[in-house]
Amino acid sequence: MKARTIKRFLIQAALTVFLLYPGIGFCGSHFLKIGLSDEPKTLNIWLASDRWSLRVLSQIYQPLFTRDPESMEMIPWLAAQDPVYDEASISYTVTLRESKWSDGSEITAEDVAFTGNIIRDLKIPRHFSKWDFIKKIEVVDKKTVRFYLEEPMAIFADRTLTTPIVCKKEWEKIYQEIKKTDKPLVALLNYNIEKPVGNGPFTVREWKKGAYLFLEKNKHFFGLGQTIEGRVLGPFIDGVIYKFFGTSDTAILSLKKGDIDMFWWAIQAGYLDDLKTDKNIQLHFNDRSAMYYMGFNLRKPPFNDVNFRRAVAILIDKGFIISRILQDQGVKMDSVVPPGNKFWYSKQAPDYGEGLTQDERIKRAFQVLKDSGYSWEVPPVDGSGKVVKGKGVRLPNGQPMGSFSILTPPSDYDPQRAMTGLIIQEWLRAMGIPASGKPMAFDALVDQVKVNRDFDAFILAYGQLSIDPDWIRNFFHSKNDKVRGENQAGYRNPDFDRISDQSARMIDKNARRKLICDMQAIIKKDLPYIPLYLPKMIEAVRTDRFAGWVDALEGIGSIWSFCMLKPIGK
Amino acid sequence: MDIWHFTVRRLIQIIIIFFVIFTVLFLLFRLAPGDPISRIIDPDMTPEDATRLMAQMGLDKPLWMQYLYYLKNVLSGNFGHSFYYGKPVIEIISDRLPNTVLLFTTSVILSAIVGVFLGKIASWNKGKRTDTFMTMGALVTHTLFLPWMALILIWIFSYKFSWFPINGMISEDVWLDPSSGVVRKGLDVLHHMILPLSTLFLIYFGSYLLLMRSSMLETLKEDYILTARAKGLKEKTIRNHHAAPNAALPVVTSVGLSLAFSINGGALTETVFTWPGIGRELVFSVSNNDYPLAQASFLLIAAVVLFSNLLVDILYAYLDPRIRY
Amino acid sequence: MDAQEKIIKKKRLKKPGRERRWKKNWAIYKKNILGRVGLALLSFFVLMALCSYIPPWIDPMYQPMSGVDPEISKSTGPSLRHWLGTDFMGRDLFSQLLAGARVAFMVGISSAFMSILLGTLVGMISGYMGKWVDTILMRLADIIMVMPTLLVVLILAALFGQLNIWSIVLIIALFRWPGVSRVIRAQTLSLRHRPFIESAKVSGASHMRIIFRHIMPNVLPLSFLYMTFRVTAAINIEAALAFLGFGDPGTVSWGMMLQWVWKTGHMFKAPYWLLPPGICISLITLSFYMLGRAMDEVLDPRLRKEGERY
Repeated sequence: MKARTIKRFLIQAALTVFLLYPGIGFCGSHFLKIGLSDEPKTLNIWLASDRWSLRVLSQIYQPLFTRDPESMEMIPWLAAQDPVYDEASISYTVTLRESKWSDGSEITAEDVAFTGNIIRDLKIPRHFSKWDFIKKIEVVDKKTVRFYLEEPMAIFADRTLTTPIVCKKEWEKIYQEIKKTDKPLVALLNYNIEKPVGNGPFTVREWKKGAYLFLEKNKHFFGLGQTIEGRVLGPFIDGVIYKFFGTSDTAILSLKKGDIDMFWWAIQAGYLDDLKTDKNIQLHFNDRSAMYYMGFNLRKPPFNDVNFRRAVAILIDKGFIISRILQDQGVKMDSVVPPGNKFWYSKQAPDYGEGLTQDERIKRAFQVLKDSGYSWEVPPVDGSGKVVKGKGVRLPNGQPMGSFSILTPPSDYDPQRAMTGLIIQEWLRAMGIPASGKPMAFDALVDQVKVNRDFDAFILAYGQLSIDPDWIRNFFHSKNDKVRGENQAGYRNPDFDRISDQSARMIDKNARRKLICDMQAIIKKDLPYIPLYLPKMIEAVRTDRFAGWVDALEGIGSIWSFCMLKPIGK
Repeated sequence: MDIWHFTVRRLIQIIIIFFVIFTVLFLLFRLAPGDPISRIIDPDMTPEDATRLMAQMGLDKPLWMQYLYYLKNVLSGNFGHSFYYGKPVIEIISDRLPNTVLLFTTSVILSAIVGVFLGKIASWNKGKRTDTFMTMGALVTHTLFLPWMALILIWIFSYKFSWFPINGMISEDVWLDPSSGVVRKGLDVLHHMILPLSTLFLIYFGSYLLLMRSSMLETLKEDYILTARAKGLKEKTIRNHHAAPNAALPVVTSVGLSLAFSINGGALTETVFTWPGIGRELVFSVSNNDYPLAQASFLLIAAVVLFSNLLVDILYAYLDPRIRY
Repeated sequence: MDAQEKIIKKKRLKKPGRERRWKKNWAIYKKNILGRVGLALLSFFVLMALCSYIPPWIDPMYQPMSGVDPEISKSTGPSLRHWLGTDFMGRDLFSQLLAGARVAFMVGISSAFMSILLGTLVGMISGYMGKWVDTILMRLADIIMVMPTLLVVLILAALFGQLNIWSIVLIIALFRWPGVSRVIRAQTLSLRHRPFIESAKVSGASHMRIIFRHIMPNVLPLSFLYMTFRVTAAINIEAALAFLGFGDPGTVSWGMMLQWVWKTGHMFKAPYWLLPPGICISLITLSFYMLGRAMDEVLDPRLRKEGERY
């Protein structure tokens, strides 16, 4: 009798589920559905540092200037025209265009000044370095703001003016409140913002934790119906719904089934063949602004010897890595600036070992090392000039070279870097260099390299590098050779420091370009890092409901796509 | 010693155990390499930024001070702010907990009921084909590798047949539609829950079945069953009214004892199905070095496990007067 | 516990008949269908583990971790050259599967062995010494027993970054001993006041000697009965850990293979890659489980009398 009840219950449950399934229909009109590989952590713009939050926030908060998707030039966005520089007072004057916050109030110079002042006052991490050199922000009138700088700074236009602007009315209250606490910065970061007042094309409607985040069209968005740089802006869609997936697999499955219109994440090469055959799916291949590199610990031998680093560079066959590990979805890097960044990229000399076969590479590396005093028990090139397996390499001082490890992220985090580490290990071992690729949990790896600074060599990457390569200075300037500093290699070169400091203050773009090229040349010669490769940004979208994705560096997820995307049949 | 004394003694022990776990957990998190700031690799995050942030988060203080501070806060019910979400930990946990409770209790209750029911049938048909089939079936499903089976279920039922959603807990179409009422929303959650529930169910009902079966076989040899038989009662009556309730007792208590085991499975299931629960949150917070959140989630799990063990102990002591620890 | 006592009594009475007893047990075991299936499965996996040394010896491209087929650079289905196909970068799946068997045995048996050893030791000391030693050790066992092992190992793995396979084995062992130690403690308690222990005490044997010479031989068979179940737990935890991405990145285990297929996006289109590792993990667990239950019946005469058949 009890059994029957259970049975009946089970059958009923099963039936309801099956009957329910076809009953689900979509009520709304043109909501773009985007899959994210994880849930955004916060909508508090000062705390957000994960990619998912930043992606959502990029549609809510807008900067004064943004980049044209084709030319990558800076163009006025919340600003009305290019900033006016006054050399005598070292100041920039920016005028704002007519625009409103999502609550309908006007965006004024006060908002801009407030944004800069709160960053400077609380020294907000990730933003402060871009505002540190500003002496004073003056509100000239309602729509004009003037920034006084301590000294000329090249990154001002590119980096400072691309900071998203926040609403003074909303944040002033919070600011006063947190100022009273004894830890204002943490209080600000921990401030809970559910529905931020924004100035972007969309605003937050509802966030159902763990399920979806729903943004609706901001009817006060300044771009609505405007034409900027020859592009007619919308948004033409009624809203964006973000859905969260734990893994790429389920997200791509949803994409194929039509549950989402776009998966905002780089697609692994493994999915390509399958997606290419799907009629409703379009793939976008774009360049990235990133750097995948092998770094050395220049604080200890043998890595402090530039000839050793050059020999390693000669042995690394980047073409093999690209064709094998990246499955041709990427390009070689021979400078720290990505080749797609055409204005700043400088190709000066052929890359180490370019065009050589594996045996030729070994011979050349052998020559380089032998000339600088290294010796072998069994040299990798024998008397008759034939390549054999080398053994027992000794440093110039006669000591045997100790075995060392090349730290890489584990293969689940990034299979490509993990495999690259293993392959490089094999190439070095052929020379008798006792290297081993060692995949390591990502956190532990970063900690080891940045904080403990106890490592031999590693393979890491920087993603979403800004177009203006001011970061070269950060990566290799000797002042950043400290715990948590970005100069992880411990590279110290007074010439480089001097040129890079000069470049930071150089306002003239072409003169600055010359300096940046010189810096690239120095790094290429000294090789604290060996730039390896640059994977393509591959993204997939459905074509049956929306059209008009804008291709750009770093993919289709720029503000332009969301402003220009149109529903099909409208 | 009466049951009251026994309970109080166990309670005190549990508090001490909890305190030990609390301390060990604190030390583990603080001694491990990496801090919440080191994982932000962003050229814009300068060393000065990091140092300032560490100081404001109180991470630059000596370990014992951090410990005392944390202890004081936790005792007053404040588990701190999550480094990652920037929200009070309590808030995040209370967001996730109901989802876990829903999935978890449903699966445990369902698998226990079905396990007991099938175990009873198996024991009654001992040696026959039904028994062999059931025992083997239980053994096989019980030993399946959980995440793999979850993937296979997704593959078959979501991908091949499109019967169920791939992951998540609710579908936005239903929840954003202003016309959908409570029933429709409830059914939507149920629709999403079927696959994760089946995964947990398939793994766990087997162990209850096997347990019930052997417990039933034991019980059937007891004197009072023989008496009942001698009285000429119907076999069915003996089975359902005399043997089964007694035999089910160890199964019920084993639910409490195997809780730790089930929690492992729960965390895996939540991760594979992106079920927004506490187990998945724990996995994430751990990999993000979000100490406050990870500590609080783990303490919560430990508290639940310890407390349910206490309940089982009391239940046992109450039902079986011979047992006094 | 009187069942165990019976075994022990028997053992002490007829020591010379050990061989005969083994034969008898084997005869009973052979009748047990669960045991037979389990053993057959297990021998299959042993064979796999042994065979794992062959492919790399044939050609370096069959190295499970670092060998790639020079002509294949993406995942391909089964072929003559690669019996189960290749993974995303041209590594041979069949040799990975074989190597996985080796790792599974290594993890399972060494971890189970360690936890049994530890559990027996703690159980004996606790039961023999009694008093506060007993209280402390048993409370410790309580704490560890109720902890969800997978989550604990996960926390440790995530916190300390790169756990190699041996640390994982060790941690699993450290968290799986309490079950054994409770049983052994009960067994030891029942032995403590037996005449042969008392007489050993009277004759001035040290505690160490009594524990290791007199108690241990009597509780060991019981410990090893528990070992099979510990093996399954260890294999499962390692696999789950690797699956979640916290395994030893330098080891090819089945969990690792599943993780690769999951994370590189081949899950729904490479069944030749998704199915074998999962089936193997499930089957090896099943085989140890069957073995355990069968041994249970052989060693526990009460169950045997009942003539339980499957």
